[in-house]
Amino acid sequence: MRIQAKFGAAAVLAMLALVTSAQAQVLNSGAQTIALQAVLSQSVTLTLSGNAVNFNLTSGSPNNPGSTSIIATTTWTLKPSVGNLNVYAFFSNSASALTDGAGNNIPSADFQISNNGGAFTALTNTVPFGGANAGLQLSSTKIIGNNKTGTRNDVMNFNINLAPLPNLPAATYAGTLTIQAQAI
Amino acid sequence: MKTTKLMRIAMVVLAMTFAVSMASAQAINSGAQPIALNATLAESLTLTLSANAVNFTLAAGSAANPGSTNITATTAWTLKPGRTAVGVYAYFANFTAALTDGAGNNIPSSAFFISDNGGASTALTSSVAFGGANAGYQMANVAITGANKTSSRTDVMAFNINLTGGTLPQLPAATYTGTLNIQAQATP
Repeated sequence: MRIQAKFGAAAVLAMLALVTSAQAQVLNSGAQTIALQAVLSQSVTLTLSGNAVNFNLTSGSPNNPGSTSIIATTTWTLKPSVGNLNVYAFFSNSASALTDGAGNNIPSADFQISNNGGAFTALTNTVPFGGANAGLQLSSTKIIGNNKTGTRNDVMNFNINLAPLPNLPAATYAGTLTIQAQAI
Repeated sequence: MKTTKLMRIAMVVLAMTFAVSMASAQAINSGAQPIALNATLAESLTLTLSANAVNFTLAAGSAANPGSTNITATTAWTLKPGRTAVGVYAYFANFTAALTDGAGNNIPSSAFFISDNGGASTALTSSVAFGGANAGYQMANVAITGANKTSSRTDVMAFNINLTGGTLPQLPAATYTGTLNIQAQATP
């Protein structure tokens, strides 16, 4: 009787061992690959807080401020190879930044911008956009490791200097100032 | 042979480097954002006087009764291109009673003279843009050209009352008062 009991216990143990061994055998499929590609395109966008400025001119006066300031917000995402992000203001023609359409003009040399509280500066430079001697570089941001994606604001105040134009006739003078950014 | 091969490889490497550099130099531009500018230089024509009163000590029947002081009229303007002239005028409202004692005794405008900027003394007997008929005098007429659409001028006026004409030698003693007006006009 005692021998029978011992034999039974041994048999149970053997069966348990067999079951455990069968469960440990894993079965894997082949590894399937998924190619991933994420493209972060370069971009430079510039938006303006307003699109119109009015001036009430006083004949011969150097101070004829614009009715409002305008903020240019430039946002960029750039490749490592880009060195600078520049913002420009320009006219298409230096001789007639604003005109009455009857041959009387206000040149870009008498149109001034103060950027972010800086000194008022006339648009007399040749920049990548616009006419010769009709532009102003508002800002230059060096692109380094921590600002390849970034943003900046340029708050522009405007003035028309009529001191060099004492004989400008009474009229309404209209023109288009363009703001544009370039990463290079 | 080996040198030639090395040179070719070097040239290919240089060309590739150049191409990569060129690609890096491609500028990226934002869109161009316009700001409409509108500047208004309004037309204006102003005239100011250096003083507003002149006194005369009259001598009965005398041709020369000069005013106590000269007065300078300063005219300033900013005009539209269509304007061709600026006129400066002196005038009374009424020819017959430029100055009056209020009792029916008058000094007519024809007895009142102005010398403008040292010129001849001239009576106010013309009909001008302002005032009464035959009661005015155009002191100045400035032609407007491209060079003076914004400008100014001064007219220094010296005054005289001539009491020799008509019944004026019999003018009774009294205080005679009147108002002379100075005004400018841009035309057309």
